[in-house]
Amino acid sequence: MQDISLHLLDIIENSVRANAKNIQIRVIKDSNTNYLRLIVSDDGIGMDPDTLVKAQDPFFTSKTEREKKVGLGIPLLKQNAELCNGSFLITSEPGKGTVLSAEFQLDHIDRMPLGNLKETLLSAIVGHPEVNFSIILTALDKDKEKSFHFETAPIKEELGDIPLTYPDVIKYLEQSLNEGIQITNMEDV
Amino acid sequence: MKTLADLKKIREKAQEEMKLRDGKVRIKIVVGMGTSGIAMGAREVMKTFLEEISNRNLTDVLVTQTGEKGLSSMEPVVDVIEEGKPKVTYGNMTPEKARRVVVEHIVNGRVVSDYVVATGD
Repeated sequence: MQDISLHLLDIIENSVRANAKNIQIRVIKDSNTNYLRLIVSDDGIGMDPDTLVKAQDPFFTSKTEREKKVGLGIPLLKQNAELCNGSFLITSEPGKGTVLSAEFQLDHIDRMPLGNLKETLLSAIVGHPEVNFSIILTALDKDKEKSFHFETAPIKEELGDIPLTYPDVIKYLEQSLNEGIQITNMEDV
Repeated sequence: MKTLADLKKIREKAQEEMKLRDGKVRIKIVVGMGTSGIAMGAREVMKTFLEEISNRNLTDVLVTQTGEKGLSSMEPVVDVIEEGKPKVTYGNMTPEKARRVVVEHIVNGRVVSDYVVATGD
């Protein structure tokens, strides 16, 4: 993965595969403590303690359709976070869901760029119309806090049977996400 | 700032259009978004489809994404599903190839055989 937003998309896809109906995505740029933090929580099927340990092992995958049994998504994200003085944590409970958090030192020389957050969020939202997304972007700098909150459930309710990939809806979602990314200065992190 | 009132207008306009064509989705595009797909550029392929749909105002096309399907060496992989026709799977997709698929297959109904890696189901 070339940037953090691609990792984020990969993690979101894990939640979808775990049959999550609600996924919350938080991206926090904290200039005070010098960290960039991603938190993805879902209400999917969750993992037992054994699977949770295995999920961080590159030679494990839950994808049964694979011939080669490797699963690099989580291990690579963990490695990338730890390489830049960050941290990585997953907690999970079967039947309840999973919370994954990855932290990167904001000004670390080896930190990958955040990348195109809008494309990741747009792709996840329209690609999984069955899932409700709650997106919170927060930028903290000295005593200033800028925040953007975006929920897809009311949008889908308003649209009724109009699909999320209807041309004007794509434009609407794109503009909304762009505004949020600008408000929180996450275009070029 | 975008509001739900903007969406209401979109919905009303879309419903008018759907009445004219029986509310049917003509064609469905499914982009494989597993780890290897993402690493090979699936998000940019998805983005290109969304851009083309929005720019060409294709109101009867649906785009979704799915996990891996065991075609890792051909990622990014895209399925095009049309009612009453065999499913077409395109492999090793790029934004350029996606644009060609939109013009030739989605708009003009001609399968782009150069990029097909599987058909059927």
